[in-house]
Amino acid sequence: MSNTKRARELARQQAELAARQRRERRIFIVVAIVLVALIIGGGIALQAWRTGRAPVVSARPSASATPIRVSGGMPLLLGSDSAPVKITLYEDFHCPHCAEFEEKFGPTITAAQDQGKAAVELYPMSFIDAGSAAAANAMACAAEAGFGQAYYLGLFANPTLQWNDRQLVALASQVSGGGPSDSFRTCVTSRAHADWVASINSVAEANHVDQTPSMFFNSRPMDLATLTPQALQSVIDKAATP
Amino acid sequence: MSVPTLSRTRFETAVPWISTAARLLLAGVFLTAGVLKAADPQASVTAVRAYELLPVSWATLIGWGLPFGEIALGLLLAVGLLTRLVAIVAAALLTCFIVAVASAAARGLSVDCGCFGGGGALPRGQTHYGLEIIRDVGLLLLAGWLVWRPECRLCLDRWHREEIA
Repeated sequence: MSNTKRARELARQQAELAARQRRERRIFIVVAIVLVALIIGGGIALQAWRTGRAPVVSARPSASATPIRVSGGMPLLLGSDSAPVKITLYEDFHCPHCAEFEEKFGPTITAAQDQGKAAVELYPMSFIDAGSAAAANAMACAAEAGFGQAYYLGLFANPTLQWNDRQLVALASQVSGGGPSDSFRTCVTSRAHADWVASINSVAEANHVDQTPSMFFNSRPMDLATLTPQALQSVIDKAATP
Repeated sequence: MSVPTLSRTRFETAVPWISTAARLLLAGVFLTAGVLKAADPQASVTAVRAYELLPVSWATLIGWGLPFGEIALGLLLAVGLLTRLVAIVAAALLTCFIVAVASAAARGLSVDCGCFGGGGALPRGQTHYGLEIIRDVGLLLLAGWLVWRPECRLCLDRWHREEIA
């Protein structure tokens, strides 16, 4: 074999190898793009389902079944009027830290409400998105209809939902036992308490509440960064003992 | 001239390992950020909307999709497939993050970056724009290193190249 022939053969082999490498690289790129697109597309579909599905609540008895009056600038009272402890909560139903707060302190507070030791004064704020305001309005509708407490727990049990009208009505049929009344449905879809929702935001601003969740214990601000459920339990017990 | 040659060789020996460390670190950060954000789709959309840069429908799509994009990038970086290309995409994404945070700061918005979940409006004076930008610039440097030197150990690119050679 002459030198030129050998050189030509070598060049041919190298070109073939380079072509193969390019081909393999193209395949890898296509595989990677398809993989990324599948993950993102599947993720969007998953999140659309998680925010759009019907609410799910675990069955639990409702503490306050007394219908309450909704009046401008006033919080919703959940629990006994005569309870020695008033826990004031400023929460947005779409605020992630509020959902965490409920998970951590909810059982303690609910137990105290059930035992008549504490009542919650709820200021449902709505500064995050349209779902916050829709949920705050529906919360007022539920309190008016007498299942406020159960509805409140149901809202926080489903923090990933976007809270459209369909979901807000579905939640009512879950927690109120039986289908929601037409007046509740109308209350939700017509945003019957829109003015009240706006008034709650103004009151919160006037009270210098600039973050959610904010909690007051018999009007005393509580530091939620250091508070534990055990500590809350003991201050409730202390305040509730005559 | 033997000393510079020696240190140069040492540097070249270290490069693949530096690149591997950069790749795995970046993979860990993207995976963590993606998983934490994907956990709460509502909060993720809120975090995007808080920047006030996109219309609602786009913010929703980004809020839902971006965390999974980060997870995908993290996975590709973790296995070391197409490292240079993935590093370019990662660098572009990090640049977007830096621009978004800087623009929020410049417009006087008060938001949490939502980089690792959470996010949204913050009370005045509780922002950490400086730290958030410094962290993202650090990550951008890692991605830049990988674009420059995508050499790797423990990765699919290497297996692929050796099989062909």
